[in-house]
Amino acid sequence: MAEFVWHAVSPLQHSFTPGRMGETADAAGVRMAEIRNFNLVQIFARRGQWSAVAKAAKAHFGVEAPTRPQAVSGKAGVLLWSGPDQLSALTARRGDEIRPLDALRDRFAGIASLSDQSDGRCLLRISGARARDMLAKVSSVDLDAAVFPVGAAAATAIDHTAANLWREADAADGSPVFKLLVFSSFADSLWDTLVDAAAEYGIEVESPAGL
Amino acid sequence: MTVYQPNRLDKGGLIDRSTPLDFTFDGKHLTGFAGDTLASALVANGVTLVGRSFKYHRPRGILTAGSEEPNALVELRSGNRREANTKATTTELYYGLEAQSQNRWPSLAFDVMSVNQLFSPIFVAGFYYKTFMWPAKFWEKLYEPAIRRAAGLGRPSGLADPDHYEKAWAHCDVLVVGSGASGLAAALAAGRTGARTILAEEDSRAGGRLLSDQGEIDGVSARDWVEGALAELASLPNVRLMTRTAVFGVYDGGTYGALERVNDHVPVPPRHQVRQRLWRIVAKRCVVAAGAVERPIVFSGNDRPGVMMASAVRTYIDRFAARPGRNLAVFANNDDAWKTVEAAHRAGIGIAAVVDVRKELTQAQRTLAQAAGFPVLNGVIHDVHGGAKGVSGIEVQLASGKRETIAADCLAMSGGWNPAVGLSSHHRGRPKWREDIAAFVPGDDIPAGMVVAGAANGAFSLDACLREGHEAGAAAAAGSGGRKAAGNAAVAANPDDALSIAPVWHVEGKHKAFVDFQHDVTASDVALAQREGFESVEHLKRYTTLGMATDQGKNSNVTGLAIMAEVSGRSIPQTGTTIYRPPQVPVAIGALAGHNRDEKFHAARQAPSNHWAAERGAPFVDTGLWKRAQWYPLPGENDWLTSVNREVVTVRNGVGFCDVSTLGKIDVMGPDAGTFLDRVYINLFSTLAVGKARYGLMLRDDGIVMDDGTTSRLAEDHYFMTTTTAKAGPVMQYLEYCRQVLWPELDVQLTSCTDQWATFSVAGPKSRDLLRNIVDPAEDLSNEGFPFMGVREVPLRGGMYARLFRISFSGEMAFEISVPARYGDALARNLMIAGEPFGVIPYGTEALGVMRIEKGHVAGPELNGTTTADDLGLGKMASKKKDFVGRVMATREALVAPDRQVVVGIKPVDKARRLRSGAHIIPKGAIVGPDTDQGYVTSVCHSPMLGQWVGLGLVERGRERFGEIVRAHDPLRGEDYDVEICNPVFYDPEGGRQRG
Repeated sequence: MAEFVWHAVSPLQHSFTPGRMGETADAAGVRMAEIRNFNLVQIFARRGQWSAVAKAAKAHFGVEAPTRPQAVSGKAGVLLWSGPDQLSALTARRGDEIRPLDALRDRFAGIASLSDQSDGRCLLRISGARARDMLAKVSSVDLDAAVFPVGAAAATAIDHTAANLWREADAADGSPVFKLLVFSSFADSLWDTLVDAAAEYGIEVESPAGL
Repeated sequence: MTVYQPNRLDKGGLIDRSTPLDFTFDGKHLTGFAGDTLASALVANGVTLVGRSFKYHRPRGILTAGSEEPNALVELRSGNRREANTKATTTELYYGLEAQSQNRWPSLAFDVMSVNQLFSPIFVAGFYYKTFMWPAKFWEKLYEPAIRRAAGLGRPSGLADPDHYEKAWAHCDVLVVGSGASGLAAALAAGRTGARTILAEEDSRAGGRLLSDQGEIDGVSARDWVEGALAELASLPNVRLMTRTAVFGVYDGGTYGALERVNDHVPVPPRHQVRQRLWRIVAKRCVVAAGAVERPIVFSGNDRPGVMMASAVRTYIDRFAARPGRNLAVFANNDDAWKTVEAAHRAGIGIAAVVDVRKELTQAQRTLAQAAGFPVLNGVIHDVHGGAKGVSGIEVQLASGKRETIAADCLAMSGGWNPAVGLSSHHRGRPKWREDIAAFVPGDDIPAGMVVAGAANGAFSLDACLREGHEAGAAAAAGSGGRKAAGNAAVAANPDDALSIAPVWHVEGKHKAFVDFQHDVTASDVALAQREGFESVEHLKRYTTLGMATDQGKNSNVTGLAIMAEVSGRSIPQTGTTIYRPPQVPVAIGALAGHNRDEKFHAARQAPSNHWAAERGAPFVDTGLWKRAQWYPLPGENDWLTSVNREVVTVRNGVGFCDVSTLGKIDVMGPDAGTFLDRVYINLFSTLAVGKARYGLMLRDDGIVMDDGTTSRLAEDHYFMTTTTAKAGPVMQYLEYCRQVLWPELDVQLTSCTDQWATFSVAGPKSRDLLRNIVDPAEDLSNEGFPFMGVREVPLRGGMYARLFRISFSGEMAFEISVPARYGDALARNLMIAGEPFGVIPYGTEALGVMRIEKGHVAGPELNGTTTADDLGLGKMASKKKDFVGRVMATREALVAPDRQVVVGIKPVDKARRLRSGAHIIPKGAIVGPDTDQGYVTSVCHSPMLGQWVGLGLVERGRERFGEIVRAHDPLRGEDYDVEICNPVFYDPEGGRQRG
């Protein structure tokens, strides 16, 4: 019997090759990268257990669990508000790990329900001087620096597709950095929409990155 | 080839004489300058005749210099970029521009259809309604096409638009609409406070009337002040100036629609750029400083080429250095028109005469008349002489009773100004009449957060515009994001002049006097409407089509209802006014669609194995948003049926697999998950053992079936639900509604995990053999170790784990195997390897459908939103031990009636016959009609196992009628044939195969 090999294929693996897209006259106004190798676990507090869940999350991830639309970054990853009494924990994946719930089950036993969404979402990093102009074409959220500061998050829709959008610390050149989390099956189609929106500013498609 | 421009002034104007731009109009080569509009370039070239009117095909010239233009509509560009009904007055000139006049044949100068004018006594308002009413069937086939040919506007290209459009959002504290004196003052005041400000200007250049009118502001010329204001705005990072952007609508919650004409001013948009962009601007406050529109006076010959609005004459002279005539006559009822006289005199244009309805002149006016040596006549215009090529003279009816004819080649008219009340009435705000300026101004019920300033609010003096704009901008900023001081308002040199006006709307004369130029509505049409009882403004509008053209009555509405007031003996406020709806300016459908056109019409979802399926040449079918492999053709297979038949036979005799990841998947978790499911499904789930799956059916709360699927219990507090592909979203929404609203007391948590798992159905008598090759050999997959409806996690060879479900949709022994989605592609490839010894094949949605019909399984066509559980043959599943959604409503009389249409099998009596879904079931011997219609065929397939077409149908009392021969009547395809009603389970009715 032949041996079986399990090659992982990320949602956007077939959609692009790194390099320039769109306008190439000047430096790219938008930089986009698919983030691979992350674990994403949804954590839903059971009835009346939010404070216990927040405490357990703090103990496990080392950061305060957000209680309003925010993304809190720490060494272990990002805790993302995703609704009342629920959050999503985004962490780096170690190797070929396929059961991220195992490490969390004991910590949250009896106080939360957990659902693994590591493969259910595609994660993009969008940055560059024109990132806001490009996102304004696909998102109704006001991303002005003062209105949507670093750490702000939104559960919103892009091209009729549910999406989580949040802002991380600015890049070294001062340009803003956004993360966009969408359902994997929509990734191809959404990528197309994002490329269309960013084409006039010039796009640098970066090599896939880890979290 | 630079062409001499006979009517171009030697100096002045905001044009660049060093950049000549060649263009063509009706094939004739002409030249304009950068900064021109198409209209100003035509004026500079001495072109007066630009189009033919809609109904009478009368020759028409340029009337205005703005977006309210009713006459100068052209076909712009050619080929697939041809755009009909484009206003020459708002089209920026570019090198190589091609424009064609419209609605004329064979040429603009000689138009056959202008004979319509001779019949004009019968082509009055309501003519079509009265004449072509009978016989009714002639309307669609004969009258309407003939009328449309005669009364058309421009021609669409008929080809797909090659350009791109997009949509975008913008957010601000203060949106300022219009960048004239009021708008600039408002933007400055708001911007200085630090409020986020957007200044939207429809024109390519900010400045509004200040680009056309003289004046002095803060000690400098109006134009210099505009430059200074723009420089200050540019220095404020919180202010965004958007030119070429027309705000066209006011929507809920402070959302404004705007159209940015990004690349309409170039022949072809640069690569990677859009032609137009549709903005949704979300603003906390809005200052409407949209100015006013000068209105015509209705008199005999007022539509002749060469008759132009006085303000437009001034714009062409001062902004564009183009002379609309060499010998200008002016007809006015107000002071503003005298600014045109001044401008023309300054530019060295001869003034033939000024006809003013008012007896008293100001000192300045008298001085000007004296200095320039032109007569000022107190009276009205009786007629305009001339023809298609322009004006040759005017006949004046003097107040003294005498008539006087004066030679002139251009007539500037001014009946006063109408504030632009459009945007302020978009939320049904009704404009109110102001007697002192003889105009409607925004009423008290304008949209929340909006304030109107300057000419749009009826303030016509420059000083008042600057003051109102500043105050409105400062107040809007204070009410939103402004923190700092707004500074001081700019001050105009002559804090003058309330507009002096003596309203004259209509002058009786010899010939037609036009109210609505674009729709050819005359003063006598308005009078006729009144005589026939259409007195209300809403009736007037619909009876005469007044104000219903693309200019939305910007030029004509107020005049039309003033004439109605006159003939009906009422005041203007008593007569009332219509209100405006979005869009304020026409918006291309392409801009509204944006990115979402053609294959990007909606987002598409890709299943995990699609890339692999595409490698194998599978065609894809749209299933909702999903793209699914339809079948997998082998070399030499040229039609779909061959491939599908092979796939079905291979699965039924061996093994195949199909990507079913598109089924909805929902994690139902928490201590009360079982109770929750008992309430949403008609059957029991709290009793389901861990490691088992069960088929479930859920109803809507009206008792009709909503969806079905299998749900497994993975742990005490964790169920895994599946839904149909089509209903995944609605079911998830409904469950959230149940959880949050109906039963908040239940401790249950839900989340969609559809995209998390790649799931394949592995079906066929050799499915277990295949799985034994890939699942860890330690796992017992025998009937005892893994019975029908069993579920568990299993390790796979090579370091993977999977959820394995023993579930069958095909009727064969079958498993569903799920791995994390990123390994879906690998799973497809590995299933091919594991199944190679057994001749495994992939199969698509067509074979999946064939096998479910052969087995009589219901799907979308049967779960169609009208069927009950019992109609589907699943009534016995309903638990008697518990309550569930839809239980009570499902017992309503009509839902349990014995003559309901229920699911049955259908097979043609002639075995060679093809069945078609949609055919109606009629009893033998009955006359076809609604009374004898007993149902229809819902699903059909060619069954390779039975060697004939079979189908499912919904048929009255169907289960009592197995064996009965009925007619399948299909008027849509012209077919009528006999079919037999039968048991819907065509294949393996005992169900032994799926249990292995």
